[in-house]
Amino acid sequence: MNKPDYAEDSPGKELILMGNEAIARGILEGGAIIAVGYPGTPSSEILATLATMQKFHSHLMLEWSINEKVAMEVAYGGALSNLRSVAVMKHVGLNVASDAFMTACYTGVRGGLVVISADDPNCYSSQNEQDNRYFGPHALIPVIEPSSPQEAKNMIKDAFTFSEKHKTIVLFRTTTRLNHGRANVILGDIQKTETKPDFDRNPSKYVCVPSNSRRMRKELLQRLEKISEESDSYPFTSLTLSEKRINGKKFGFISAGIPYAHLMDALEYFKIAENVSILKIGMIYPPPKKLIQKLLENCDEILIVEELEPVIENFVKQIAYDSKITTIIHGKDVFPIAGEFPVKLYLEKTAAFIGKEFATQELLESDIELPPRLPLLCPGCSHRSTYWALKQAEKKLKINAFKSGDIGCYTLGVYKPLESLNAQICMGSSIGVANALSKVQTDKEPVVAIIGDSTFFHSGVSGLINAVYNQNNFLVIILDNQSTSMTGMQPNPGTGVKITEESGTKVILRDLVKGCGIPEENIWIEDSNNIPKMVEKLEEALQAKGIRVFISRHVCSLLEIREWKEQKVVMPEVKVDPEKCIGCMTCIRKFGCPALVEIEYNGKKKSSIDPSICRRCQVCIDVCPYGAIYCEE
Amino acid sequence: MHNSHGYNILTVGVGGTGVISATQILAWAALEDNYQVRTAETHGMAQRGGSVVGYLRFGSNVKGPLIYKADVILSFELSEILRYSEYINEKTSLFVSKDILIPPSVYTYNIPYPSQDVILNHLRKITHHVHLIDAGKMAKNAGNPKTSNVVLIGTIYGAGKLPIQESSLKNAIIKFVPDRAKKINEIAFQIGIQYGRKIKEGFYE
Ligand code: SF4
Ligand code: SF4
Repeated sequence: MNKPDYAEDSPGKELILMGNEAIARGILEGGAIIAVGYPGTPSSEILATLATMQKFHSHLMLEWSINEKVAMEVAYGGALSNLRSVAVMKHVGLNVASDAFMTACYTGVRGGLVVISADDPNCYSSQNEQDNRYFGPHALIPVIEPSSPQEAKNMIKDAFTFSEKHKTIVLFRTTTRLNHGRANVILGDIQKTETKPDFDRNPSKYVCVPSNSRRMRKELLQRLEKISEESDSYPFTSLTLSEKRINGKKFGFISAGIPYAHLMDALEYFKIAENVSILKIGMIYPPPKKLIQKLLENCDEILIVEELEPVIENFVKQIAYDSKITTIIHGKDVFPIAGEFPVKLYLEKTAAFIGKEFATQELLESDIELPPRLPLLCPGCSHRSTYWALKQAEKKLKINAFKSGDIGCYTLGVYKPLESLNAQICMGSSIGVANALSKVQTDKEPVVAIIGDSTFFHSGVSGLINAVYNQNNFLVIILDNQSTSMTGMQPNPGTGVKITEESGTKVILRDLVKGCGIPEENIWIEDSNNIPKMVEKLEEALQAKGIRVFISRHVCSLLEIREWKEQKVVMPEVKVDPEKCIGCMTCIRKFGCPALVEIEYNGKKKSSIDPSICRRCQVCIDVCPYGAIYCEE
Repeated sequence: MHNSHGYNILTVGVGGTGVISATQILAWAALEDNYQVRTAETHGMAQRGGSVVGYLRFGSNVKGPLIYKADVILSFELSEILRYSEYINEKTSLFVSKDILIPPSVYTYNIPYPSQDVILNHLRKITHHVHLIDAGKMAKNAGNPKTSNVVLIGTIYGAGKLPIQESSLKNAIIKFVPDRAKKINEIAFQIGIQYGRKIKEGFYE
């Protein structure tokens, strides 16, 4: 592979980088050694980018962890041994990691430790919209947030030094538009840290028993106090005061992150950037008290522009109250708490705040009903096969299973036409939740937990052990497509390939399940795409007693076609015989592979396959009740 | 160019059809012309056949990645542009590919795919600058149907709607395609430019 330009040791060079690439570059420049995480949109490209740098910067020790808690612990272990370390995750990943995170903050660190939380306003790729800035006051550690890819790179580089100086964990928070947006980035120098890794054997510092923790909590608060004093002079925070008035009033703004960038555009749009005071915050927590006071004292009215929760607003109001300042403070009375802000909203709200006319153009009413374009399982996806086979087995047994779902591509089975999920909250929950559901199930409504391979390794396995131990009996289907597909085809323990593409040790799913205590006769392993066999065996598994595990195995279609291409395998084309097709549309309206389309044939509606997107998996051949789909041998 | 707001291009289409790579190419070309550049792109779940969008802004002082009103919209699929009407005003130029990708919801939700005329009539009520492009066919003529994104980039350049130098665009295109596809992409770019020029000269709509 050619050396990617973002891996070069060429300070001063200007590139276009995605936020996540810029963050990876900042991690490299900051002299980090250990970088770990669990894939999750919008954070996944950070470690993936580091992996492409690793060949040229062999000091980087990278791992995909099996979940975020382990990632947090690995990174903490690195920092404990005096290595600069970083743990990368999406916002909900920090919930998983928080057990380790909350107490690791007590001991503090030796090598710099940065935890990256990529939040997702508008839930573009997430199950919730939580605001992880709250983890700052919760864990009593600093939270920093960049407003552009360039700043992200510089800020994370600096964060390692900051972390070491204050012996604190630093939470680096971003949002989707930062992670997945490109911008000019000027590279900096790659720092080489001289510190030697070693062990610090000091139980009173690192063993969190009550007698130590009581003391540590006080130390933690002292550390926070020191950091708080520095928040005003944090290099990524800045205050510009203006003495100008608009309509007789002095206005001020406070913002951070991506909203700051859009706010500045809005102020430029109205040509008032020079006429208002602006506090741009880089360190959200602890907040820059003195700067906030100065801004408040200077202005008659201020507006706080932040997406999601009123985190900054609450600090500002607290500071205003404590220092008896009566400046009028607006925030969530103006901007919504839920969702991402479109540019139009910034313009409207800014204009209204300063009392300027701004008429947004009325949108032209349209009576065109546009068919929705929801994300779909790929053509040839083996998950569709499993859902289909499960439906057929249920039909045969005249039962209606309650399907407890999980997180991955297969969550898309909730949409039409499969509509195969009844509940889903978080990673691994399919099995955990099924533990109780199984107490309510009946013969007609048995419980089935459906989970992917990577998610099973992540946190499904603990729910399974719980079921074995407590004798909660239900069927678990593990959709083993040997990949963490939704987030970009990352390898996992079941593939035995490491993030660096070197081989690791493969964890054998069957052995793992057996080791959890599932008896041999209650384990099935079938090829997802062999529909007749799948239906037969699923019937068996649905009727069997006890806790059961059905491993439905077929490699992710995207990987399969990649393999075929590499090995020069040409699969035969799959076609619909229009003479045999009676137009029942089972394949299109019930199975729903997107490569199947309706056509007119001799004046009748028939099904047909779009060869440009068909992946030639041949599954639809078994789906057609009239044998109209065939492949050309 | 809308001075205080830079130049704003929205690229829309369906996951996996080159929307994101088009945005990336344009961003690099803008860098070569010394602009400040910002993009926001759809990655992750929606890329599985969902509706995807790339926002691109460049100018001397752009900060936020999202767009208010677009100067140009490139739609890689006929109907997708309708999802983005809020970004169109009377000054926006629309370059809409004739290519159609039927979403399965047409069958599962029984909502028919709107006809080309219905779509164009609606768009023309908002702006006069609506151009329908047979990008798929031109890409095929270039030698690979996958080059339709490069054809469209060429088209907006040829039509005078892309304030970036031709050489910068060419360099950026070449940066992102594998060696064996460079020639074909250069051809696709030229085919697009020729077509765009014809639009500018009023030969085509
Ligand atoms: S990426 Fe793989 S697992 Fe995901 S929908 Fe496509 S084929 Fe299925
Ligand atoms: S063979 Fe059938 S099921 Fe498989 S991708 Fe093609 S149309 Fe879809």
